[in-house]
Amino acid sequence: MDYRQLWDSILAEVELAVSKPAFATWFKDTHIVKRDENTMILSVPNAFARDMFQARYHATILKLLRERDHTIHAIEYAINRDEPKRRDARDDKSQAAGMTSLPLPETNVNKEDNLNPRYTFDTFVIGPFNELAHAAAQAVIKSPGLMYNPLFIYGSTGHGKTHLIQAIGNHVKATSPSKRVFYMTSERFGQDCMNALQNQKMSIFKEKYRKYDVLIMDDIQFFSEKQKFQEELFHLFNTLYDNNKQVIFSSDKHPHFIQGLEDRLKSRMSAGMIIDIPQPDQESRIAILTAKARTHGMVLSQEVIDYLAHTVVGNIRDLEGALNTLIVHAQLKGREISVTDVRNLVKSNQKPKRAVAVKDIVKIISEFYSVEEDSIYEKTRRKEVIKPRQIIMYILREDFNISYPSIGEKLGGRDHTTVIHSCEKIKEDLKQDQLLGQELSQIRNLLVV
Amino acid sequence: MKIEAIREKIVEAIQRAEKVAQRNPTLPVLSGLSLEALGAILTVRATNLDLGISIHLPVKVLEEGHLVVPAQVFSSLLGSLTREKNITLSSDGQTLSLDTPSVHSKVMTLPPEEFPIIPEIGGGSNFSLPAKDLVQGLRAVIYAAATGSVKPELSSICLLHDAESLVFVATDSFRLAEKKVKVKKIPNFTQILIPQKNAVEIIRILDGLDTDVSITIEDNQIALRSENIYITSRTIDGTFPDYKQIIPSVSVAKAIVLKQDLITSLKTALVFTDNFNQLKLSLAPKKNQFEIESKNQNVGENTYLVPAALEGGELAVSVNHRYLTDGFGSTPSDSLALSFAGEGKPILVEGVGDKSFRYLLMPMNR
Repeated sequence: MDYRQLWDSILAEVELAVSKPAFATWFKDTHIVKRDENTMILSVPNAFARDMFQARYHATILKLLRERDHTIHAIEYAINRDEPKRRDARDDKSQAAGMTSLPLPETNVNKEDNLNPRYTFDTFVIGPFNELAHAAAQAVIKSPGLMYNPLFIYGSTGHGKTHLIQAIGNHVKATSPSKRVFYMTSERFGQDCMNALQNQKMSIFKEKYRKYDVLIMDDIQFFSEKQKFQEELFHLFNTLYDNNKQVIFSSDKHPHFIQGLEDRLKSRMSAGMIIDIPQPDQESRIAILTAKARTHGMVLSQEVIDYLAHTVVGNIRDLEGALNTLIVHAQLKGREISVTDVRNLVKSNQKPKRAVAVKDIVKIISEFYSVEEDSIYEKTRRKEVIKPRQIIMYILREDFNISYPSIGEKLGGRDHTTVIHSCEKIKEDLKQDQLLGQELSQIRNLLVV
Repeated sequence: MKIEAIREKIVEAIQRAEKVAQRNPTLPVLSGLSLEALGAILTVRATNLDLGISIHLPVKVLEEGHLVVPAQVFSSLLGSLTREKNITLSSDGQTLSLDTPSVHSKVMTLPPEEFPIIPEIGGGSNFSLPAKDLVQGLRAVIYAAATGSVKPELSSICLLHDAESLVFVATDSFRLAEKKVKVKKIPNFTQILIPQKNAVEIIRILDGLDTDVSITIEDNQIALRSENIYITSRTIDGTFPDYKQIIPSVSVAKAIVLKQDLITSLKTALVFTDNFNQLKLSLAPKKNQFEIESKNQNVGENTYLVPAALEGGELAVSVNHRYLTDGFGSTPSDSLALSFAGEGKPILVEGVGDKSFRYLLMPMNR
């Protein structure tokens, strides 16, 4: 007997036992959501109904359920969150003839799956830097849950991770409407988990996330050091994975570098496909700028675009910001933008290079490698200290242009030849060791924050 | 059930609860007030299944019991007995008897077993503030909320918070009101959307209370507790628009006027407004003129020069009379600052020296 028949048969009996108005008020819009071991989860329309069921009808329903299936021991009530249907906004305009509306931003997010419909593959600009990630996304779309599961996308902020993973969700939703897609940030998952714990509704919480065919979790790095959430995520992941449901993660780092993430989670995240979206290259930046300008209805000269792509260092958001400034400027002046205009605008928008104290860099890098900050300055030649020390020297030289002798002096009075040797060594290692390259980009990210 | 009480105390409780009890075709018992005597307490309850209220009153309980009495009848009856001090309420199952030395009435009751339970919200995030601050915050913005149900998030009052205040916001997309109320402890929530209809009731119920209200939020439900009053309301599961980005940060022209001057001139202007309630505001800072013009083809026309301190460039915009005046009452300042961001851009109205309230309205497009 399926849940619907089961519930209908119970309703038929309840109807005999309770008054007509009570039945019409409380039992309307109720149904069985599912069974979680020995607990039946019942959906009710609101908090009033939930409390009425708990207080007045609980015993009756439990008895009727047990008559049909004696293994059922408990009932939990979940409030149904179906939104009331929206009518067309035009209905409401009568009183407001002649009025213009405030330019309120539309809340674009779809409540059911949390996806922002703006993020699609149509607006996703593909370049050499992200074509691998794009290809993997396409493979996932073709056979969700089977090809690359989980798909793990990582890269710095503003490189298009969220766009890509949401585009996967939107595409799956559009092509196979029966598939249930859900997008969320790890923060939201944490909040939900916390609320469920406080209100002792863990089984409802577990049920909620297990029903999805494609689960997309953004910014997973915020889970570090949160044991309980990680445990829940671990079990959730296992359930979804075993049932061939697609899971997609994004993070700002490779899972191995997310500090405080449990090993069992790391290994599971690495089991599918891990793809890096690096900084967009020159060619891609040009493509992105052209596409973005087009969506604003602007045509910029090749010269201007080249100049922008070249001078605005940073992520795609920075590019977009610079472009928006240009567009506003163009509208204001009412004429086309010349390279001279761009030069002036960009100049005033550049972030000043931050002066960084050597001490801070030592602190950040020694923390990154979990070594004592003081040991960097000491004479010790322990292996675990040498590498971070060399990397510090390399970064100070490469990124901050500090002279060799002064680096040596600041790091505990070392000879400048030691510094030169260290920098050369790291440079050599970088050619072979891909992992080192990733570590360095991680560190650089930490330094700019 | 049998109780003895001071009439005025009961009347006060009934009046707070009465409006919540409404006729409901599927569940007739909802048009009643539930009276329950237990221990030394009489609890008055009312609900429309969207909002629920219960009020506890210390009374002399001679016999415990529970009954439901039609709200309107009971309230009119009690309200009319202005000369009686003490009353006795008793019930024999079918009817409620109200007795004073000189009055004896019997009121038909409704089946008490059908009366819903008012949900008790526990857990979740929790904070408190004086009832009068809550009422002030809601009242300062509620008129700007949409009344239809097209967009549930706009027919709601949105509660947010910043580093030191609780923020109340409402908009019907033609104007927007924002009020900040300082709180001692910063609450732990991101956003609550209280349906406008329920906010009206909350204001009415809490108005005039001197106590603190503690607020508890659970998924889709909010609870407000004061000394002997408990209110719970559904909240809207939606996202309020990110309105901060539409508040103009720069203005092209600005007028500072005395609120009373503006109100007087707008009263005159109202005589001549057309069906669209349209007014034309013209600023000429060089000539130091701020003019309000209204015109109705069938009635006539009028211009009013309002004394004002002006800055910026020349500008003329049309606004809806009602939308302009609605916001005036929410700021205690005597002077108002009207900032214009240009043609077709929102107009910002603030009280001079009052940082807690902002009102934004769109000009008309003709």
